[in-house]
Amino acid sequence: MKKVSFLIVFVLLAVGFIACRKPPTDQEVENGFDKTAMLTYYADNIIVPGYTAMVEKMQALESASNTFLAAPSGDAQATVKEAYKQAYLQYQKVAAFQFGPAETALLDLYLNFSGGLDYSFTTSGELTGFSVDTNTIENNITTGNYNLANMSRSSFYSQGFPALNYLFFAPGAIEKYSTNTAARVAYTKAVITRMATLVNNVSTGWTAYRSEFIANTQTNVGSPIGNMVNQMAYQMDLLKGPRLGWPLGKQSNGIVFATKCEAYYAGFSVALAIENLTNLKRIYVGGEGKGFSAYLVALGNEQMNNDVLAQFDAALSKLQLIPDPLSNTLTTQPQTVDAAYKEIQKLLTLLKTDVASATAVQITFMDNDGD
Amino acid sequence: MADSILNYVKSLRDRQVSIAPLVTFRIVFGLLMFAGILRFWWRGWITSVYVLPEFHFTYTGFDWVKPLRADGMHLLFALIALAALFIALGFLYRVATVIFFLGFTYVELIDATTYLNHYYFISLVAFLLIFLPANRDYSIDARVRPGIRRKFVPAWCIGIIRFQLGIVYFFAGLAKLNVDWLFNAQPMRTWLPAKTHLPIVGPYMYEAWVAYLFSWFGAIYDLFIVFFLLNRRTTLAAYAVVVIFHVATAIFFPGIGMFPYVMISCTLIYFSGAFHEKLLSLLPFYRKGSEVTVYRYKYPKALSWGISIYILIQLIVPLRFLAYPGKLFWNEEGYRFSWRVMLMEKSGAAYFKVTNKEKTQYFEVNNAEFLTPLQEKMMSTQPDMIVKYAHFLADEYKKRGVNEPQVYAEIYVLLNGDRSKLFVDTSVNLAAQPQGFVHYSWVLPYNRK
Repeated sequence: MKKVSFLIVFVLLAVGFIACRKPPTDQEVENGFDKTAMLTYYADNIIVPGYTAMVEKMQALESASNTFLAAPSGDAQATVKEAYKQAYLQYQKVAAFQFGPAETALLDLYLNFSGGLDYSFTTSGELTGFSVDTNTIENNITTGNYNLANMSRSSFYSQGFPALNYLFFAPGAIEKYSTNTAARVAYTKAVITRMATLVNNVSTGWTAYRSEFIANTQTNVGSPIGNMVNQMAYQMDLLKGPRLGWPLGKQSNGIVFATKCEAYYAGFSVALAIENLTNLKRIYVGGEGKGFSAYLVALGNEQMNNDVLAQFDAALSKLQLIPDPLSNTLTTQPQTVDAAYKEIQKLLTLLKTDVASATAVQITFMDNDGD
Repeated sequence: MADSILNYVKSLRDRQVSIAPLVTFRIVFGLLMFAGILRFWWRGWITSVYVLPEFHFTYTGFDWVKPLRADGMHLLFALIALAALFIALGFLYRVATVIFFLGFTYVELIDATTYLNHYYFISLVAFLLIFLPANRDYSIDARVRPGIRRKFVPAWCIGIIRFQLGIVYFFAGLAKLNVDWLFNAQPMRTWLPAKTHLPIVGPYMYEAWVAYLFSWFGAIYDLFIVFFLLNRRTTLAAYAVVVIFHVATAIFFPGIGMFPYVMISCTLIYFSGAFHEKLLSLLPFYRKGSEVTVYRYKYPKALSWGISIYILIQLIVPLRFLAYPGKLFWNEEGYRFSWRVMLMEKSGAAYFKVTNKEKTQYFEVNNAEFLTPLQEKMMSTQPDMIVKYAHFLADEYKKRGVNEPQVYAEIYVLLNGDRSKLFVDTSVNLAAQPQGFVHYSWVLPYNRK
């Protein structure tokens, strides 16, 4: 009996030992869906080109801005506005990749601070959502004493796209450059330089991070697939909350917060929201049979995939009915905004429950033990 | 029935066996708990789970349990860790076990969203250890006061821990005997395709038969492993299976944390006294004793009753779900404290709306304002937490000036590879619904497609 016991132990240990050896590469392909190919597609066709384009748009913005700052005028302002819009739209295309190099750079905090989701949106005085901290900006200009690398809400709210939004496009923006000109120009340049530097860092960071990204096909918290699904859900949460629902007064019994719209002064909030959601769909679909859409089908969830695609289109078509500037539409046609809001919530539900569950991804931005 | 149980308990109470298994158990359990507490601390979970949240999902009857502030919470964890270390060393054992049990249980009672089966198991074992003479040999206590040293203890001292572990496995096995687990291989079919990165076995994770194999093997293992551990002739082989099984679960499901290691360590208790004496003699300072020194309890009658009641509670609590109508996995009435481990895949999205009594005001609730992501995730699928949160929201919005707030929820929940479905009646004011052990009639019935 003892011998038999030891034999069993030996065999089981041997099996365990073999099972624990290092992986030979490229073997998950043969029986099912190739996740490495999916991640490779995302990296090479969507993420890396997205950041490369972002670098270029920042360069264009910087040169348009320099022209304006050298001689502020209405024409120059219009040029800056177009470059600003292009850069901002491009940012929406990479906003959902807030992990890896972007997480290291804290790109979302410094470029386009959303205020986070954990704040009450019921008082207009507080800095929440896509607010701009105009006091801090003016103070920074006057004192010349600031460090844009500071990690604080007022620091995030006084740089990046929101700060440029105020500096270039707020009422009387051009006139403001005629007093304390040197300091105001210097601050504007500092903001743009910092944005360009961060974007460059992330873009070059992906050269090294790419191999790590495509090699990890796990789905746990912090894995590339886990991050992608969580970021899609998070961007949906931002759409439902700070981008549309909260300025509309969903949290506040209909009290509208028009100034908290994304890009309030420039007035193309809806265009940004559409670009954001269009890009989420692009991420979901992927391409060439490589993407979450194809993955769900491979797992036998064809109907779910159809429903998600249809809901993306439903939400997008409702979004497209909202006229810009959103800050006006919130009061003139709240029902149009509300209609989009409802479709976005449906899509969010599908992503958070059906898609996350089918891909075995935990929707949580925090690590924890389970069961 | 009650008589035969009492007689069996009596024999366990009076028969004397080697103390060695209990000593090993004490050391292993203490060290593991020490490591576990440090791990929890090191990962920053004391702060993220107990300090940062402004609202906690307390247990019915334990609403008075509140977290301490940051300093106090860390101090409490330090105290629990120290107590665990003292248990391992057998130093001030009785005090250490009482502190560990109370401290650990207090922490677990703070928030139901952190409930884990193995935390409950740890609390139970810690409670038992208070009454077990595990420090009577190879301990600092016995070193300082050689008079308390004993080589034999009543058989129930070992038996009760074996019973407790047996309960964990057996009920975990019983819980798996359901249609989803056995005949749809859910949730394994959902979870395994996410494990294709594993070496060797990875490519097979998309295969349905593998999910069935995992499900059936898991159920059979849970149901029967205890009997092979108890049988002297198969203990060793069964233990090898225990080790391999739990190492495999740790590799496949790293998210279950300490559980595999708790089980691997604790099941050592099934080995014989002779085995443990041999094991302990490998350690420094261990002295074999030829003298027959026997540990006796002062109040045998009270002890018999105590043990019997404990055993009955352990047998009844996991079955209490039978008293509730509806589908257990959907309603989760009587789900916790029943050894349902890694049993289902459930996810949800919950949207709450608050109105005043006159229905002239509408506020959509931003869950992130009140809950951590972990709390929100847990609350979204568990009715008792949903209703507790609704009551909290009513209080909160009352403070904000809303007249007699009413709370309505639109919640979608997905269970075991099905699609997400509406979970609760959207027309019910949840803030007016009773909490506690009642049946939640506002949860919509479960209909599979």
